Amino acid sequence: MTALPTRRVEEWKYSDLARALGDAGFGDGAAKAVATAPDGVEIVSLENGNRPAWVAQHYGKLPANVVSAVSLAKAQGGIAMRVRKNVAVVAPLVLNISGEGHVRLLLVLEEGASLTVSEHCDPAATRNTGFEIVLGENARLDHVRLSPASAVVQVEEIALLAAAGAQYHSHFASFGAKLSRLEIMIALEGEKAEAHLSGVSVLATGHADITTHVAHKIKDTHSTQLFKKVAGGKSRAIYQGKVSVAPGADGVDSRQTAKALLLSREAEADLKPELEILADDVKCAHGAAVGDLDADSLFYLRARGLPETEARALLIHAFLEDAFAGVASDDLREMVRGTVNNALDGIAI
Amino acid sequence: MSSAAAETKSQVAAIGEKYKYGFVTDIEMERAPKGLSADTVRYVSAKKNEPEWMLEWRLGAFKRWGEMKEPSWARVHYPKIDYQAAYYYAAPKNTPLKQSLDEVDPKLLETYKKLGIPLSEQMALAGVAVDAVFDSVSVATTFKDKLNEAGVIFCPISEAIRDYPEMVKQYLGTVVPVTDNFFATLNAAVFSDGTFVYVPKGVRCPMELSTYFRINASETGQFERTLIIADEGSYVSYLEGCTAPKRDENQLHAAVVELIALEGAEIKYSTVQNWYPGDENGLGGIFNFVTKRGDCRGARSKISWTQVETGSAITWKYPSCILRGDGSVGEFYSIAIANHYQQADTGTKMIHIGKNTRSRIISKGISAGKAHNTYRGLVSVLGKAENARNFTQCDSLLIGKECGAHTVPYIESRNPSARIEHEATTSKIAEDQLFYCLQRGLGQEEAVALIVNGFCKEVLQQLPMEFAVEAQKLVGISLEGSVG
Amino acid sequence: MLEIKNLHVRVGDKDILKGLNLTVGAGQVHAIMGPNGSGKSTLSYVLAGRAGYDVTDGAILYNGENLVGMPPEERAAKGVFLAMQYPVEIPGVTTMMFLKSALNALARARGQSEMDAIAVLKAVRKKAATLNVSEEMLKRALNVGFSGGEKKRLEILQMALFEPKLAILDETDSGLDIDALKLVAEGVNSLRSPERAMLVITHYQRLLDYIVPDRVHVLSNGRIIKEGGKELALELEAKGYEQIVKDAA
Repeated sequence: MTALPTRRVEEWKYSDLARALGDAGFGDGAAKAVATAPDGVEIVSLENGNRPAWVAQHYGKLPANVVSAVSLAKAQGGIAMRVRKNVAVVAPLVLNISGEGHVRLLLVLEEGASLTVSEHCDPAATRNTGFEIVLGENARLDHVRLSPASAVVQVEEIALLAAAGAQYHSHFASFGAKLSRLEIMIALEGEKAEAHLSGVSVLATGHADITTHVAHKIKDTHSTQLFKKVAGGKSRAIYQGKVSVAPGADGVDSRQTAKALLLSREAEADLKPELEILADDVKCAHGAAVGDLDADSLFYLRARGLPETEARALLIHAFLEDAFAGVASDDLREMVRGTVNNALDGIAI
Repeated sequence: MSSAAAETKSQVAAIGEKYKYGFVTDIEMERAPKGLSADTVRYVSAKKNEPEWMLEWRLGAFKRWGEMKEPSWARVHYPKIDYQAAYYYAAPKNTPLKQSLDEVDPKLLETYKKLGIPLSEQMALAGVAVDAVFDSVSVATTFKDKLNEAGVIFCPISEAIRDYPEMVKQYLGTVVPVTDNFFATLNAAVFSDGTFVYVPKGVRCPMELSTYFRINASETGQFERTLIIADEGSYVSYLEGCTAPKRDENQLHAAVVELIALEGAEIKYSTVQNWYPGDENGLGGIFNFVTKRGDCRGARSKISWTQVETGSAITWKYPSCILRGDGSVGEFYSIAIANHYQQADTGTKMIHIGKNTRSRIISKGISAGKAHNTYRGLVSVLGKAENARNFTQCDSLLIGKECGAHTVPYIESRNPSARIEHEATTSKIAEDQLFYCLQRGLGQEEAVALIVNGFCKEVLQQLPMEFAVEAQKLVGISLEGSVG
Repeated sequence: MLEIKNLHVRVGDKDILKGLNLTVGAGQVHAIMGPNGSGKSTLSYVLAGRAGYDVTDGAILYNGENLVGMPPEERAAKGVFLAMQYPVEIPGVTTMMFLKSALNALARARGQSEMDAIAVLKAVRKKAATLNVSEEMLKRALNVGFSGGEKKRLEILQMALFEPKLAILDETDSGLDIDALKLVAEGVNSLRSPERAMLVITHYQRLLDYIVPDRVHVLSNGRIIKEGGKELALELEAKGYEQIVKDAA
């Protein structure tokens, strides 16, 4: 079996997976995924070997990191989902992932198709989820993922391929686990493909690692990233993001922002925004910041009568606010905001 | 036309060759036997008439080095270095340290004159004392008397080991431990010379101190070691420059620099690194693997690094600050230019340990031709660093379609009252800027030089005057052939 | 209403106020004038209770109670309002949401009942119109992207809404053109009342043409060096600070 990464592996420097899992590894359970799908989405179980052609065509084809390769090798179950050409599915597809062990997901949006996915992770069991997403030309996927506070190890690797004009909009909200990692590898392979990633980590305790790779493989592709982190208690918030631009990929526009607020003396934030640029006619920038609440703002609010804790709470909400803007659906945005508000209530500020 | 552009233009025009320091001085040399062994280490130590403790220190380092692996995490690619195929000691024959410049071989004086570093004191720029290191030895140190008056010790490190052993023992290897990394450990085993500076309590060093490093001999590595101690409340500004002849082979340069600033002291360390970069096809050039680190040991001390890196085929260098003292300040200002097949992986580490520590990082990377330029940096705030502050600005400029610019910052904070801000951008020279300059009559190359100088201005401003002019010219020259 | 006795304030390791005495009665408007660096902004911040402004000696009596050491929000609840020279921008918090939070925090502290969103909106609208604060401004993040005039008008709107007993206006005229200045001054004048004291801090006499003070105090090097009626402001304008400081010495 492939050895799981330790913190001595550069990419896992802040998330020692081997250590967090211990000898038991991910376990031998059969983790599963259940999709409550609206009309227009085709769903196939990956459990039986008799897979339709479109599944065979895409399953296991995207690049995988070492952990994703393990789920590909070991997963017993999972599901494949497809939206056919030019079908716009309005109601969100609700995805529930639960159980212990490895599970695989495949989502294919054909040319011009659109879908919103609301992904929920059961916090009870140690799990490794491998997710492949294929976006055809001009397809659009809105993806919201909530990973609630958990006492165990939960990791997910998403590999995504976007054809010309395809758009991927995601929001990842994490609330900490013994070790939690969401790693996404995006290849913008067609001209004018776009990826817009946002997310919040609100940690009363535990660990949350968001690792992104956005590869601009061709010209005129765009990406934005905005990740906000609030770390209280004895928690650790991590963002690693790599944006790469291939030779000749002119006209690429990429912006990456990661900010963290530390609310406790025992909390830690680690940010590593990375650029790898091999074309010259590009606009690429990143910004990262770690700090506390702005003293001027705090004074202003208190001078207008807000008690300190209320003023702090208001500023923490304000700090997170722009990261929610990326959620297109009002209902899902309110769902995320509500979950975040509950999580904030549990943090000493 | 701005004076910078005019300056650049005349400079570019004046130079027939791309690399003006590429000449070789024909002088009789004495070398250690080729290759690296404990005997080589003994040879170097014996050549320097070192005390036993120093030899032991070196042999300890050599033993550890044998157990270490060459690091591979940097974004640089080069053929495997055969550490047995080089000479580790080369010195002009019969030139142990001279008491007076009159005794120095005229050929050496001529060499430094050609490099623009006149060693004769009457000719020297006022206010700059120079230590000239030629291959493995220091050949001349100027203005010693004047510095002695102020109590400042400025001498080759080989001399310091003999004359100030207690001080060397107290500080050597305390900032960059013997086993810090592969190249630093190699240096500890075989370093042959370098500069030692001690500035006593409360003394403001009366002049700029400067070391000029020259690699001349072929197949020879240069391993110099610099140790600067600024005692309480003192100030020193130190400059180093480096050049080497044009050769088709790759030569290794693995230096170690240690700075120690005690309470209230300030050290300003500036480098203009112009080792031979190799030719436009990537043949030859210096492999520059350097460990530079400063320790702000005392409260309110300050260490400021400024570097202009235009040379070397490979640059691997991260001048860093350990901000231990409360209220101490670290700065890193860098320009790295990589053209043709050059590869630079450079940046800094700012380790905030003390309260109210502040750091500032300004990095300007320029890539042209088929070169790759990487900024790699760490800002780390430890748990007790209350109110620590960092600001980082990292800008990359790409000239041409085949080069690369990479930015790899690590930001780690463990204190809620600390603030760290990092911004990075990547862009090319704007067409409208270029057009504007061309329309006003500037040539393609001078327009680029002008714009790049503007891009680097914040860093150039940090250099002492004499160096700033030199550096500005270098910016233009290094980019020659990158456009059009 | 406000009695400042022998106030000494240190900021960092610098003494800024060095024995300042000042008394302002209810219903009065007093102007504090002084050159740059005389301690004007320090005075406003120390009255509002900003951290980092350490009172090393003296007292600030407000209706007989010493404010020194009291958190800023308690002072606000007791009716102290500081209109800031540089109102802070807070992205992510809409102006309306901020006004509601502040109004209700004050209501709670004052033992009044809180207002719902609609009641707040009504109250705000009523005052907003006269100050030319648009609905669109209320929807934007607090002070973010506001012009200088918009920021100052919003400060005065808050002053009208929060109904303070002691209003401190710190350089409210800075950055305003003449039309904006008049609008702001009208807003301030409409809030003059027998129960309310105002302290108008300014560098220039110009503002005092529109907000006419009962008393004028000249602040220099951390102390009040001269005081008089409204004509003192004109004298200052004519002679300049340097001369007045010399005369007083």
